[in-house]
Amino acid sequence: MSIFLTWEITVRVGFVPEGRLPSFTSTVLALASSLLDADFLALVAQSFLNLTAGILAALAFAMPLALFAGLRSKFDTAVTPLIMLAGALPDIALLPILVLWIGPGNVAAVSIAAFSAFFPIYFTIREGTKDIPSDLFHVAAVFNTSRINTFLKLILPAVSPQLFTGLRLAYDFVWEIVLAIEIFSGVTGVGSYIAGAVEAGGVTDAFAAILAVGMMAIAVDRLIFGRAERWIRRWMD
Amino acid sequence: MDQAVDGLMYQMELKNVSKEYNQSEQSMPAIQDVSFGLDRGEFACIVGPSGCGKSTLLKMAAGLDKPTSGEIRFCGEPVRGPHPKISMVFQSFALFPWRTVAGNVEYGLEVQGVPKFQRVDSVRKYLEMVGLAGYGHLYPKQLSGGMRQRVGIARALAVEPEVILMDEAFSAIDEFTAETLREEVAEIHADTEKTFVLVTHNLIEAVELADKIIVLSSRPARVKQILGINLERPRDRTHSEFIQTHKSIFAFLKEELENTIVRRRIRRIPEFEKLSDIEAQS
Repeated sequence: MSIFLTWEITVRVGFVPEGRLPSFTSTVLALASSLLDADFLALVAQSFLNLTAGILAALAFAMPLALFAGLRSKFDTAVTPLIMLAGALPDIALLPILVLWIGPGNVAAVSIAAFSAFFPIYFTIREGTKDIPSDLFHVAAVFNTSRINTFLKLILPAVSPQLFTGLRLAYDFVWEIVLAIEIFSGVTGVGSYIAGAVEAGGVTDAFAAILAVGMMAIAVDRLIFGRAERWIRRWMD
Repeated sequence: MDQAVDGLMYQMELKNVSKEYNQSEQSMPAIQDVSFGLDRGEFACIVGPSGCGKSTLLKMAAGLDKPTSGEIRFCGEPVRGPHPKISMVFQSFALFPWRTVAGNVEYGLEVQGVPKFQRVDSVRKYLEMVGLAGYGHLYPKQLSGGMRQRVGIARALAVEPEVILMDEAFSAIDEFTAETLREEVAEIHADTEKTFVLVTHNLIEAVELADKIIVLSSRPARVKQILGINLERPRDRTHSEFIQTHKSIFAFLKEELENTIVRRRIRRIPEFEKLSDIEAQS
């Protein structure tokens, strides 16, 4: 609360010109009007869609690889070093190359998002799989559990805590990547809206958009990951 | 044909079972030529120095591991993998933490495709048998070690097995709780007339529970002794025969352990290496 008050006073007293930093009240007002603006909401939805598509694509690639690496150490020693190497590449720097290859657009944005999301998801699931006690596999075997049931009733629930951790890490991290792509390469979304607003001198609108994104990120985190965490905490030590 | 005379056939039989592990270039035998038979309803305990391969033997009996040579038979049929009539209890309890107590107990039935309403009945029956009636909705993390192992036992019983293999089932539980649990397992054994095989390094436990004790040597494990225990149940630890039996197995294992230490020391001296090679070949 005191942060908002300091912000308001700083601007009102005139330490910082209104054109550079809008006052808190005007930002809130702009935010309120943005949230009623269908075009703005469509942009937020677009960014969120890019982000979600990227994470789901990453999950689709990372999960089978990570499970396999976690269960088969030979595969792990062959593949994981390569993945570590790829993970060390700077994601944002790949953007211009990707835009060159497939053109600026949502496909490029989703690809970069997927690339960034891949690594936290891969490594957390791999760890989780390695940590499954071998006795649990013995239990599954003693009761003659089929392969599909071993996956559904043992591996999947056993790695679920790490799976959610990986997704949560990816989610926090990839939001920024998606915004950066939109800001710098003109892919349509909140990022491009913010860049456009700043260029047109509408700093208030830019601030409002940033706040909107932050609020949404928190809301999704609470709604989706918060629920998952509560379920996991019921049974996990 | 040993199948011909039903009365003489063992329910479970190990015939010349050996297990080797191919570590580096030389293969190291872990279990060598182990043979013994179990009658229906018998309570057998397998004891031996730690690391001798007792647990590996049990895993092979459960169909989780295959012998390098030899054969394990159940009701005359060779065991080639997990058998629906052979169930197991683990030292680590090995409960699924994301399943409730009831969910863990019904697991075996669930993957067998037994319908829910039947599973509910078995869960109630076996939770009651292990003294956990009313605990079905809790998660394993909410239970003490002893209670978790009760869940493990109920889960093993729920699939209505004929043989229950227990791998150091009481070793991870505090002694006081373990003692009560042993008494209850002895009661369950008497009531259900199922065959129990317990691997343990606790000799008192073995003498207390077993009809038959199989004493293994140190690695590579061979059968050194098979003792029948005919003491009256419930067994009295202070009974002279109890003490005598315990003493004799203890003395044997102690000697066995000392021999291994000597052998290991000898092996370190190069001149003796050839000698022990010759000894191994003969």
